[in-house]
Amino acid sequence: MNGTDLKTDTQQIVVDEVFPHAPETIWKTLTTGELIGRWLMAPTGFEPLKGKRFTFQTKPAGAWDGVIQCEVLEAVPNERLAYAWRSGDEGNVGYGAPLDTVVTWTLTKVQGGTRLRLVHAGFVTPKNDSAFDSMSGAWPKVVESVGTLAGELH
Amino acid sequence: MANMKSMPQVAPLDIVMRSLADPTRRAVFERIARADETTVAELTAGSGVTQSAISQHLRSLKEAGLVVDRAQGRNVYYRVEQKGLAPLVDWIGHYGVFWRKRFANLRNLLKDIDP
Repeated sequence: MNGTDLKTDTQQIVVDEVFPHAPETIWKTLTTGELIGRWLMAPTGFEPLKGKRFTFQTKPAGAWDGVIQCEVLEAVPNERLAYAWRSGDEGNVGYGAPLDTVVTWTLTKVQGGTRLRLVHAGFVTPKNDSAFDSMSGAWPKVVESVGTLAGELH
Repeated sequence: MANMKSMPQVAPLDIVMRSLADPTRRAVFERIARADETTVAELTAGSGVTQSAISQHLRSLKEAGLVVDRAQGRNVYYRVEQKGLAPLVDWIGHYGVFWRKRFANLRNLLKDIDP
């Protein structure tokens, strides 16, 4: 179940993989500042405590300083971690556009390891949602393009 | 007229959205997407819309960078520009790629700390 879910209204990104490690080990990598820095980005002020605010510094764009403002919404050890992920500026389109999203990590013990599911939710599609509604016929092509693009973007 | 009539350019998001906001134009776009390559005459046939209306829609889609055309003999063939929808998807695609890369990093890190 890898991939990008495309929906009308708001869209979310889902990545879902099984790792051959215990949930406790994975939890540690998700919630220890030094370890987070080794696979995601180095956070400033992170603690796995509800209400805790922290930031990530990324590349600025336009009037946006590149800081991702986060806040822990939920932290259930070895099971679930959710944080708000807010960034961007109205003046930007594409990279650096305003985001008011939520990142949720869910850990499930499975045979031989842990299923780790990331949902990054709340990407609001442009106002004219009808463009998405009526494009179901074109979606296979669109999704193909997304795949091709995804390969080129980074 | 040259064979490659238009160099595709990535259009701003609002131009793409405006072009696709029109239902008839969107239908034209979908038909082109399904056909791989098609002509004005083929698009007009059975569409219930005049050829000049179709031509106008094609112009808008071209301006939005959603379709490209090529002339061959007396015909002009239209096809979907694969990168045309990029403004619509790239900010989400950006994060899709971002997270998949981070998963790969995480997998490597876990291998290191918990072999």
